[in-house]
Amino acid sequence: MAARPTQPDSKAGTDDNGTTPRWVKVFGIIALIVLLLFIIVLITRGSHGPGRHLRGGGSQTMSVALVEHPGPQS
Amino acid sequence: MTLTPRLRKFALTAHVTSSVGWLGAIVGFLALAVAGLTSQDIQLVRASHLAMRLTAWYVIVPLSFASLLAGLVSALGTKWGLFRHYWVLFKLLINVFANIVLLMYMPTLDHFAGMAANATLSTGDLQMLRDPSAVIHASLALLLLLVATVLGLYKPRAVTPYGRRRMREDRTLSQPETQEE
Repeated sequence: MAARPTQPDSKAGTDDNGTTPRWVKVFGIIALIVLLLFIIVLITRGSHGPGRHLRGGGSQTMSVALVEHPGPQS
Repeated sequence: MTLTPRLRKFALTAHVTSSVGWLGAIVGFLALAVAGLTSQDIQLVRASHLAMRLTAWYVIVPLSFASLLAGLVSALGTKWGLFRHYWVLFKLLINVFANIVLLMYMPTLDHFAGMAANATLSTGDLQMLRDPSAVIHASLALLLLLVATVLGLYKPRAVTPYGRRRMREDRTLSQPETQEE
């Protein structure tokens, strides 16, 4: 089993002609898309706080918590 | 600045431990988020939101910052550098992005937990507690952290233009006599 490098290989990437590997381009494009989506969400939907995630807003008046889940019967 | 081997191993251990812990904490958080989204048991929905807030503040946030800090020390204190190799650069971007989104999402978690802690819940509150945002955030975080873990383990070879320049400079400095001849 080949050991994982703990220090950079001095030859890694130094003998190429400056071309960027394909995986780097793919990662770069994905990163750009994610960043753009993030910025678009921030701009179109406001801050990323509670208001951003809450639907509707107003509470309805009917109380359900203790009615729907009664405690153990004695 | 180059760390001594002992410090380098300590920083690397701290980075790996905190990063893997962060990943595990996200998996646990995702389980709570799914339970909060899908359960018909109101008490379980409420409990999941309270547990999510605790997990996020006391486990996920500290681990995420520890991962970032230990990663910075490991990169800057060794010849890997922070901007020399693409895999290190991508891991840095993933870590910073995940930390920013995490901090921006914390007020939402606090808000939901505050609602869940109320003695009585309105139907509107209950509907809001079944928000899918926690599941979405946790799933995306899990994906990002898995990618970062794979990058850290495989270390795919690719040097940035800055890294190439630094390597040329290092070679030049280490072989002055050869060039003078």
